[in-house]
Amino acid sequence: MVIAEIKPLDEIKQLLGGYRKVLNTGCGGCTSVCLAGGQKEVDILNTKLSLSFKAENVPFEIDGFTVERQCEIQFISELDRMVGKYDAILSMACGAGVQFLAERYPDKPVFPGVNSTFVGVNKDIGWYEERCKCCGDCVLGFTGGICPVSMCAKSLFNGPCGGPQGESCEVSKDIPCAWVAIHKRLKAQNRLDNIKAIHGPREWRDQVQGRIILEPYKARYVKNTE
Amino acid sequence: MTHIAKKTVDSSRIREILDGKKARMKTCLQACAACSLCADSCFMFNGKDGDPQYMPSYKVIKTLGRLYRKRGNVSRAELERMQQLLWRNCVLCGRCYCPFGIDIPNMIAFARGILRSQGIYGVFPHTSGSTEAELQ
Repeated sequence: MVIAEIKPLDEIKQLLGGYRKVLNTGCGGCTSVCLAGGQKEVDILNTKLSLSFKAENVPFEIDGFTVERQCEIQFISELDRMVGKYDAILSMACGAGVQFLAERYPDKPVFPGVNSTFVGVNKDIGWYEERCKCCGDCVLGFTGGICPVSMCAKSLFNGPCGGPQGESCEVSKDIPCAWVAIHKRLKAQNRLDNIKAIHGPREWRDQVQGRIILEPYKARYVKNTE
Repeated sequence: MTHIAKKTVDSSRIREILDGKKARMKTCLQACAACSLCADSCFMFNGKDGDPQYMPSYKVIKTLGRLYRKRGNVSRAELERMQQLLWRNCVLCGRCYCPFGIDIPNMIAFARGILRSQGIYGVFPHTSGSTEAELQ
């Protein structure tokens, strides 16, 4: 899932400065699960903002409402009937959700309340780790299920580099070398042949807006989207 | 709008939210013929060996239907039981199919919003400190 962190309060205050009535929209999807942008976080942030602006004698009103997922039109349409009452919207969703709101309500300023950080996993309560860069060219099939793009400091497709210190990365002894881990796992699975061949570089320059339309739906959307 | 976690139930607030979508909700609740076709399209229902508590129509009727029938006059314990049905028993994947065109995900989302207005939120095993087994 997308992992996010709440922005510092001062940054949010700066973004909202000058707007008297704000709607804070939580997201019941990823940012809710990683405890950054769900209803609880919306409530807590609203309390903090209200108290902070009140202490500075700045007129400010904020309400909260959480939709199930801000990346789905059927859920954000719930906000249609309420956005008109507000001067600005604060979104606690990932960047996709913020942009989707801004697109649906082009007349309203929409501000992010969280920083989307990475696609990761829950290691434990409140402990998240990156696992995927969404590079669009998955190599996990030959790297033993360990991603060199997100786990290696240099994102090497053919590693390791010359820098590993034992099993650690040269960047820090606390960071395991992804390629040592890949080697160990493949060796244990008797699959070292997987990394003996040289893999060509990825076309990193090909950075265009991602879009996937599933085959059965192409007839419906392609003429409108291409 | 939202409130910090409360111990009591604000029935008038629930009624206010229900009234905001009354026509659509009423149509949905009345149109359900209990045909159980929605159950076939629910991967959670299928994955739980056909446990009726995972049937999409059951989840809507036992939550939103109950809130509507009782005009929001429900106890906190009832809302907490609904929490299990609405979050643990549904991932809101949006795949449930209704031959009468009932928008089940929309109704589930609506019911979740009502619970949130009462300070009751989603249940995530990793954040509540409970394992999936403990939540069964």
